[in-house]
Amino acid sequence: MSASRHSASGSAASRRRWAVIGLTGPAYLWLAFTVLLPLSAMLYFSFLTVAPIGARVAEPTLGNYLDYFRKGFYLTLTGRSLWLGVWVTVLCLLLGFPAALALAKYVKGRWREALFLLVVLPFWSNALVRTFSWTMVLRSDGMLDNALQAVFPGLPHLDIMFTFTAVVIGLVHSFLPYMILTCYISLQAIDDSLLEAARSLGAAGPTVFRRIVLPLSMPGILAGTILIFVPVIGSFMEPRILGGRGGFMLGNVIEDQFTVVFNWPLGAALSFILLAIVLLILAAFYPLLRRNLQGLA
Amino acid sequence: MTRLWGTALRVYLAVTLAFLYLPIAVMVLMAFNQSPLYKLPMVWDTVWFEKLVDNDRLLTAAAHSIVLALANTAVATALGTMAAFAFARYQFRGKTLLQILLFPPITIPWLIIGTSMLVLFFWIGIGRGLHSLLLGHVALSIPYVVVVVGARLKTFGPVYEEAAATLGATPWQRFWRISAPLMAPGVIAAALFAFAVSFDQFVISYFLAPPGWTTLPVEIYSSIRKGFTPEINAISSIIIFVSMGLMLVFARLYRFGGER
Amino acid sequence: MSVVEIDRVEKHYGSVAALAGVSLTFADGEFFGLLGPSGSGKTTLLRAIAGFVDPDAGVIRLDGRDIGHTPVHKREIGMVFQNYALFPHMSVFDNIAFGLSVRGQANQDIKRRVGEMLALVRLSGMEKRTPCQLSGGQQQRIALARALVTRPRLLLLDEPLGALDKRLRQQMQIELKQIQREVGITTIFVTHDQEEALTLSDRIAIFDEGKVVQAGNPHAVYERPATAFAANFLGDANFFEGKVLGPGRIAAAEGEIATEDPLPANGAQVMLAVRPEKISLVRPDAPVAPGNRLEGQLGQAVYSGMSTIHKVTVAGRELTVFAQNRSAQDFAPGDAVRLEWSPSHSVVVTP
Repeated sequence: MSASRHSASGSAASRRRWAVIGLTGPAYLWLAFTVLLPLSAMLYFSFLTVAPIGARVAEPTLGNYLDYFRKGFYLTLTGRSLWLGVWVTVLCLLLGFPAALALAKYVKGRWREALFLLVVLPFWSNALVRTFSWTMVLRSDGMLDNALQAVFPGLPHLDIMFTFTAVVIGLVHSFLPYMILTCYISLQAIDDSLLEAARSLGAAGPTVFRRIVLPLSMPGILAGTILIFVPVIGSFMEPRILGGRGGFMLGNVIEDQFTVVFNWPLGAALSFILLAIVLLILAAFYPLLRRNLQGLA
Repeated sequence: MTRLWGTALRVYLAVTLAFLYLPIAVMVLMAFNQSPLYKLPMVWDTVWFEKLVDNDRLLTAAAHSIVLALANTAVATALGTMAAFAFARYQFRGKTLLQILLFPPITIPWLIIGTSMLVLFFWIGIGRGLHSLLLGHVALSIPYVVVVVGARLKTFGPVYEEAAATLGATPWQRFWRISAPLMAPGVIAAALFAFAVSFDQFVISYFLAPPGWTTLPVEIYSSIRKGFTPEINAISSIIIFVSMGLMLVFARLYRFGGER
Repeated sequence: MSVVEIDRVEKHYGSVAALAGVSLTFADGEFFGLLGPSGSGKTTLLRAIAGFVDPDAGVIRLDGRDIGHTPVHKREIGMVFQNYALFPHMSVFDNIAFGLSVRGQANQDIKRRVGEMLALVRLSGMEKRTPCQLSGGQQQRIALARALVTRPRLLLLDEPLGALDKRLRQQMQIELKQIQREVGITTIFVTHDQEEALTLSDRIAIFDEGKVVQAGNPHAVYERPATAFAANFLGDANFFEGKVLGPGRIAAAEGEIATEDPLPANGAQVMLAVRPEKISLVRPDAPVAPGNRLEGQLGQAVYSGMSTIHKVTVAGRELTVFAQNRSAQDFAPGDAVRLEWSPSHSVVVTP
């Protein structure tokens, strides 16, 4: 009798298993074919002398990786990409956190809804188009230059287009909504009564901020940092449009290997080094992330 | 003191918003400026929109982008909704792992994902084209669809489906008469999202679009690199208004979706 | 209508036994209450009968037929969920009609049956409302109408009145029982509210840690609890532990206590339970009544209108006594008092 019940619940369990496989299978097969398999193929290519496409014969080699360390050029570019990531992330935090704080705690009701929408809307306009629009603002004789000349005639002409600064401005503009969004989510979750409780216990404004608000908004700050830093060190479009020669980054070398130079194995190796850097950074932050992001995921 | 602090923060917020909208405003203004060199003062003119009508390259690319985005929306919404339903309604081993596996497509730099797809697709011989673009765009859209539909599914538990079962509804009837209508706002929101992700996608398309079949962002990028024309301002303004319009609809749906 | 038999049903979640071998029989037309603290297994049993939980072992029979392999939608049950689970995207009419419409019944029949059900729950004319336009009590009645419209063989209620406030709950208890009588359907309901269980049920079963501790009619279970847990969960109890002195007598720390229950051999350790309302509180100089007597000192008193709860210290231990506020008794904390009760109210329980 008990055996028959076991088989009955067994068949229900297997029905459930097939339902789960049927429902998740297609999506994950798709992801396997478009993320996992390509990354594996790329890893393989990075150890070859030439791309094994057509009649070409490829030999295994470590040369692509060795090149990276032998040529100071790549290391310099990696340093620049990381430096760019730090600049953009820090500026996004300095701009975004107070804005999120204002939105979460100092604006109420309909206003908050409308302003929140205003913050996330540009996020959903094309990043390429937004980057391009900066060229009209930043270039010499552009909008900003003209505005400055009108207010302070005789000022030397502004010349930040095609510089590192221009790239930083464009990227901050692109990624700022991420930081506002993630900080806003965790700031909004802080119950006002917590702040009142802290005040009633005699804590002054700055103390409340340092001891209550900042620790509780840490998950948002960290999420924003990761969501900005990682894509920025792999960016190539913004540096190309706004930076020109002055803003050449690791991403641009990789882009060129695939679209101009057609040295795919080298491009693959450089991509993997970039991925390794991303993973290293995530691993370094892992203890902090695990502690702080549990509630968010 | 606190009030002063609040006012300061609100001003800061306003400045930040101004920073976010400054270049967009400039672009839209310049789209209506007669001078191709953006000379000020502005001379109001719709000449660039008129020229756009004759620009076959941009218009064809725009048509491609819409076709691709529609196909992506259909496939990604279907696959993502199925997965979200499994996550919300079944307990199974490896669920957390599967959920974590949704993140790589959004967190690994798109440059790496795009180039690696290029490598694989050439290696196995399927090359570039609409099919490759669709493969890539759907992969990027699925995680968003799962999250958006999953959030909607979280607002109502399996209890309605259970109630329907006790009333004699078969699994098929339960899905179409209970789960589907309750999920609908989330699915529509996810579809809009998927459309926007695809329509705005540049990096993946850049590597997977063949020279004869470019999408709008790719075409704009090459125009910018070649030395742009102000028509780009015109079409970009259109794109911005369409994307923002879509997102406004999305925001409405999503908020109403959150309520019960 | 129907008889339900639960035969040695087990359900384990990891190392936790939600049901550790439960056997119960629900008689035809009976109103049966499953009572217990949360996590005691009562809800798991209800969901197993409904078909949402697959038991690991044991059999559930409906009118003699094993329904273990029958999917939920073929079990012909009606169920009212804790928060009613009224379909939010359907009108009241469509909610009640749902069970008939998935069975493909004719529109005219559906209309007639829904009308009948609305009349039964006294909500005629509410067809077009949506669930969110109804009050809690109205939602509860619609949920009941929806569950009964298909003439199920069995009605399952999961904390049916838990979401209502006290006054409405009492009113709905009466109504629920009336409707159940009228329809004559076998009904099993889960509750953690002991008063509700006593008021509604023909019989109750008390659950603890996946097991049925005691089952029977409310009077029997209340008056003669079998275990210390049952005595404490259903109502309040004072416990006395001691050795058997002879027939009907034990020696407890508080003094000698008499009972009419059969006792084991002399010297065996036993436990007695005495309900607080069975004990009378008198002054030490009052005439002595036959039965049990203990001398003590009044502690604090909690006045609750109809009655007063006294804490009385006897031999260093605190006992609870309920006294009805019949006359203006002016006991004050610290007063010496005597506790008296009949030996028939000392119930032997297993600890």
